[in-house]
Amino acid sequence: MNLIDALEILKQPIPEPASDRGIYLVCGFTPLHLKTFLAAHMRLCFPGDRVEIRTGLYGDLAGNLERVEPSDSLVVCVVVEWADLDPRLGIRGLGGWRSTDIPDIVESARRQSVRLTHLIKHLAESVPVCVSPPTLPLPPLFTTRGAQAHNAECQLREVVASLATSLSAARRVRLLNLQRLDELSPPGQRLDAKADITSGFPYRLEHASRLAELLAGLVQDSPPKKGLITDLDDTLWAGILGEVGVEGIAWDMAGHAHIHGLYQQFLASLASAGVLLAAASKNDPALVEQALSRSDILLSKDTFFPLEANWGAKSESVRRILETWNIAPGDVVFVDDSPMEVAEVRAVFPQVECIVFPKGDYQAIWDLLKRLRDCFGKGIVSSEDELRQRSIRTASTLKSSFQERGLGAEDFLRNVEATVTFCLGAEARDNRAFELINKTNQFNLNGRRFSESEWLSFLQDPAAFVLTAFYEDKYGPLGKIAVIVGKIGGRKLYVKSWVMSCRAFSRRIEHQCLKYLFEKLDAEEIVFDYEATPRNGPLRDFFAELLGGPPTPALSVRKADVSAKAPALFHRIVEVTNA
Amino acid sequence: MPEREDRLVRCFASVFPALTPEEIRTASAESIEAWDSLAAVTLVAVVEQEFGVEIDPLDLPELSSFGAFRTYLGLCREVGPGRDVNTNQ
Repeated sequence: MNLIDALEILKQPIPEPASDRGIYLVCGFTPLHLKTFLAAHMRLCFPGDRVEIRTGLYGDLAGNLERVEPSDSLVVCVVVEWADLDPRLGIRGLGGWRSTDIPDIVESARRQSVRLTHLIKHLAESVPVCVSPPTLPLPPLFTTRGAQAHNAECQLREVVASLATSLSAARRVRLLNLQRLDELSPPGQRLDAKADITSGFPYRLEHASRLAELLAGLVQDSPPKKGLITDLDDTLWAGILGEVGVEGIAWDMAGHAHIHGLYQQFLASLASAGVLLAAASKNDPALVEQALSRSDILLSKDTFFPLEANWGAKSESVRRILETWNIAPGDVVFVDDSPMEVAEVRAVFPQVECIVFPKGDYQAIWDLLKRLRDCFGKGIVSSEDELRQRSIRTASTLKSSFQERGLGAEDFLRNVEATVTFCLGAEARDNRAFELINKTNQFNLNGRRFSESEWLSFLQDPAAFVLTAFYEDKYGPLGKIAVIVGKIGGRKLYVKSWVMSCRAFSRRIEHQCLKYLFEKLDAEEIVFDYEATPRNGPLRDFFAELLGGPPTPALSVRKADVSAKAPALFHRIVEVTNA
Repeated sequence: MPEREDRLVRCFASVFPALTPEEIRTASAESIEAWDSLAAVTLVAVVEQEFGVEIDPLDLPELSSFGAFRTYLGLCREVGPGRDVNTNQ
């Protein structure tokens, strides 16, 4: 993005009503064009928001961090440069580059790094903080030739690596990946010495734009995709199974098919992080079973569920997979080596991210894996992520089993030995609750998302409550699957958000949640901040059944109504006591 | 040359969005309230990137009107996007 493009983006009117979004850009240099680029990229990421970017004082990164006042909807972007660790590591200061000064520079940088780490971590207790470690080259103050690294240079890089390591593990800190920045902005073309000396702005415009783009992406923190559907022939492995047979397909170097092995390895990694995997292949199902059972395959047959091997249209296989997963097409990636199959699926499901597998192209497979990392990457892998695939498979198997035996839902629920564990209050302030609210679409009261700042601010209200529900039955745990967030006003509760994972549908957990809330908080009435969204049909249906008509905004439910209309509930209830 | 002038007008319009093209052509630091030091630095950066030239800091005090920029750029050989070549000869 050029500076003129950024300025023109910022001239565009913001459609009303717009939400306010605050960014505190904390840096030690003059923010100048970085601020402009950040505002423009933020506008592209959040077209419906009014973004206000605040900045601090020149030359005082630590002081600026101390002066940030956390508030709702605020995200802090911290851009650290070498001169912030010691002014002698910049070119604006003239503090001395004698060889005898170097040990002191290193020591001073080490002390400042510890201080900055502490300040950033402290800030991240209240608001999300996005951090860029130094991106500029070190000045040529060292006594070795440029091609030879000086020991002090290595020590300084160690100081920064230590800062980055510590911050990357801190909650609510999102550390910019310098490897990605290196790809976009060549390290040797970042410093603008003239602008740095004359105006205190050290970046060339191209670098400022790239850095701002990545920072805006960190602020946006897009929810990851949930599932990947892959083709098999010439995608998961090289070769056409029906032609070359089970032993003829390959994914190793000997078979000139190593890129397929890399792809398998990557899919196994995704599965271990909770991504749903399914296969859609025009193939003989018996042969596919045998192929996926080969002992040298890098991911087990069970990793894929469902496994759609048939001769029908790919889009039909995709449709059945989406139904089994019960997730939206927009949460899914489809990979196939055939451009025609990709086009067919894309035509039926335009929201699915469709990718042609680049068979035979070694460099392109590298780019594919990077793209998939961007699609599925998330900050934290939770225990629920590990349960997801298994619980979907179990639910599907049970459904088929009960249908085959002619048993209904009532029998199923009675025999399933379900336990719902409720946790109310402070102990529920966990990342899973926050994550669930921000990624659930179908059973969702109003579709509204919380920023981390809003979430923390809301929980600080003494009247606020958070109820989470953990579900388990004799077939295994589903994990933490429901969250209700609201405020207590006497014997009336005001529910601001209510979500439940689609994996937990049809178990009457939603009825149990309401019953528990009424009883535990001794409430007579619950007012729901309901709003219809294009995707919250399941919640709308639940309320319609409970109220005997379509739900309306600010709908109210009385304890007596729930008692009268709730179906039989068979759960055993466990309560987790709050600290 | 008119095409270059239109691009210069676009540069000014990005920094001074309230001005019409006609007002831009007569704009100067004295006549435009919004022409402060920040706007001046931004304008120079936009022009440098748009025309692929590098403006000497010593020339900045003279670049205080649209006409001054037009004259200055008339003396520059445009090399396209980028800032590697100082053409202010």
